[in-house]
Amino acid sequence: MDLHLSHLLIGGYILSNILLTFLPKSWFSNLKFFYPLVIVDTGIVSFGMYLSEKMTTDFYLVFFLIIIFASISRNFKLLMTIGGITAFLYGVLLYSWGLLTSENSSSYTLRIPFIFIMTAFYGYIVQTLTREKRHELTISEDKYRGLFENANDGIILLRNPQLQIADVNREVEKVTGYTPKELFRKEILDLFGPEEIEKARSFFKEVAEKGEGRADYLSLMKKDGSSLEVDLSTKRIDLGDESFYQIIFRDLTDQRKLEKKIRQSKRNLEAIFDGIRDQFSLQAPDYEILRVNKAVIENYQRTYQELIGRKCYEAYYQRSIPCERCPVSVTVETRKPASSLIKSPDRDTIYQIFSYPILDEKENLISVIEYVKDITEEQRLQEQLIQSEKLAGIGILASGVTHEINNPLSGIIGMAEVALEEEDPFKNKDYLRDILNCAQRIGEIVKGLKSYSRAAKKEDLSPVNLNEVLEESLKMVRLAIKPASVEVIKKFQSNEKIQVNTGEIQQVFTNLITNAFQSMDGKGGKLVLSTRSLKDLVEVKVSDDGMGIPQKYLSQIFDPFFTTKKLGEGTGLGLNIVYRIVTKYEGTIDVESKDQVGTTFTIKFPIRRAES
Amino acid sequence: MKGKVLIVDDEEVIRKFLRIHLDKLGYEVMEAADGEQAIEQLGKDDFDLLICDILMPKKDGWEVIKEAKSNPKTKNIPVIVLTAKNEDSDMFKGYDLGASYYMTKPFTKGQLLYGLKLMLEEPLSSL
Repeated sequence: MDLHLSHLLIGGYILSNILLTFLPKSWFSNLKFFYPLVIVDTGIVSFGMYLSEKMTTDFYLVFFLIIIFASISRNFKLLMTIGGITAFLYGVLLYSWGLLTSENSSSYTLRIPFIFIMTAFYGYIVQTLTREKRHELTISEDKYRGLFENANDGIILLRNPQLQIADVNREVEKVTGYTPKELFRKEILDLFGPEEIEKARSFFKEVAEKGEGRADYLSLMKKDGSSLEVDLSTKRIDLGDESFYQIIFRDLTDQRKLEKKIRQSKRNLEAIFDGIRDQFSLQAPDYEILRVNKAVIENYQRTYQELIGRKCYEAYYQRSIPCERCPVSVTVETRKPASSLIKSPDRDTIYQIFSYPILDEKENLISVIEYVKDITEEQRLQEQLIQSEKLAGIGILASGVTHEINNPLSGIIGMAEVALEEEDPFKNKDYLRDILNCAQRIGEIVKGLKSYSRAAKKEDLSPVNLNEVLEESLKMVRLAIKPASVEVIKKFQSNEKIQVNTGEIQQVFTNLITNAFQSMDGKGGKLVLSTRSLKDLVEVKVSDDGMGIPQKYLSQIFDPFFTTKKLGEGTGLGLNIVYRIVTKYEGTIDVESKDQVGTTFTIKFPIRRAES
Repeated sequence: MKGKVLIVDDEEVIRKFLRIHLDKLGYEVMEAADGEQAIEQLGKDDFDLLICDILMPKKDGWEVIKEAKSNPKTKNIPVIVLTAKNEDSDMFKGYDLGASYYMTKPFTKGQLLYGLKLMLEEPLSSL
């Protein structure tokens, strides 16, 4: 048998194709490599056959048949079986034609294994190729399936247009309580409760028109009948000839509950805010009004629109600059609460204004709460209380004064009677001197009373020297209670004058001195009255060495109606009034006391410099 | 001497005119300006009458009367209370403590004489 070129070509072809199978499989999935390979491959074998001059139509036919089989067959075993059967049948055909027994039989005989090998080769390539493809697809599908299943959002796939559930992810299963099987039997509208169904229906109608849509604040009904609060977004997806809606939602039930609570508590706060009869407003540090309650609206007879967003001094008082003594300006500056009393110029009303800062985490001032309290009535009652305590004091004073006047009066009457019967002018002169003396004493007492009556007047603030008031008060108390031998020590070191109502300050001192005398209870003792200046303060001390105040009462002594005296002897208002008056002038009062050792009251008044 | 009278009052002018009246009537008069002095005097001398003020330094009149009435030596001395305390409750307190007569300031010579008549049987017309 000659070694013809055609044999070399076909043999080389088979060999090279076997070698080709060792190439990386991914090369074959690259079509730019695969198609030229098939063309060159086929070309080589065709040319080989052409050269062998033995090429016949029947072989071409079988050859192309194999290529077609190989390219459509997915099953490698089936392909090889077909290849085998074809090779066999072709062998039978060649034999029946007598070609296998001719002298050129070798070139025909070669065709039979050639068919088989060729089938195997193409089959292998196609197999490799499809396996690669499938592998890739599997990877990407797994990837997307994972995203779908593990998404934190519920995802539902609906068939269009039936709206029947086609697929759901795990989140849907978890939040609705339904199994996927139960869901696949449902339409999406079955998942909505009766109150929501109309809303849902119109939503999906809209989605059908636009191809997508979004609906917030919907509630789905869970398997257990409870509601599932969601925001939904839907988009139509076309997959080949099938069309779906993809629904994505998130379980917002807890968040919605929280939102509801927040809304409710906001409403509560607003109701409280509006319900307070005092005026409340929220202002920015630049005095812009951010919020006001109803009391403000009613007080100024303006609408919300007329107030919100404007500067408070413009909106309320038609001013161009902030008001004097405005506590908000103090708070803006210091970031601390402030308060002040303001008397309304147009009405006879007294307001106490408080301001409180609202700070952020970095302690920056974001806004200021202004709280305006009408204290006209409170002030009036306080005045009344002070007044009535004063009247009670006058009562006590009156009985003291009676005694004090009756003594010299007795002297006058007695001496006058004696003088009437006395002829001796020298003796009479002596008696008349006694009478004059007694009369003058009465005059002094009456003069002392005048200063007490001054206390009855209101609102007359004047610069007052506290030493003088202490002196006068001491005189008054001496009139009211006849003290045992009390040694009074005065240490007046301050001549500072403070702007107060003399009567009220006298009321403070007479109360304290009276208590001091009473605590010494006829046994005698030492009373120290002292004043001294401290920076911006005047300090007054009233100190005795009497019985002292028991420790357990110290915290209550300034409370109204607290008294340790017997019923009818004390009103329990004295020290309370003292406290009220002292704090009215922004002063402070402290007490130190030791049982059986003595008591010291210390009052500090701020020195009020001239004020506009 | 008709008898010995102790006048207790912190008011000098009152002691003075009382002394003038009593001197004229022929009584021996002693004075005390406060409660302590009065008790001291009571201990030292025998008196036929005690005229006592109530509101006084150191010891008040009530204490003087209590002291006098609790001492067997002095408990029979009649007491005239002489005071500016003019409420009924004070008067009853005085009588309770054993005072015999209660005079409120200001008073007249006539009132004093009436007291003396009751206590010492001094005739009203004697002055």
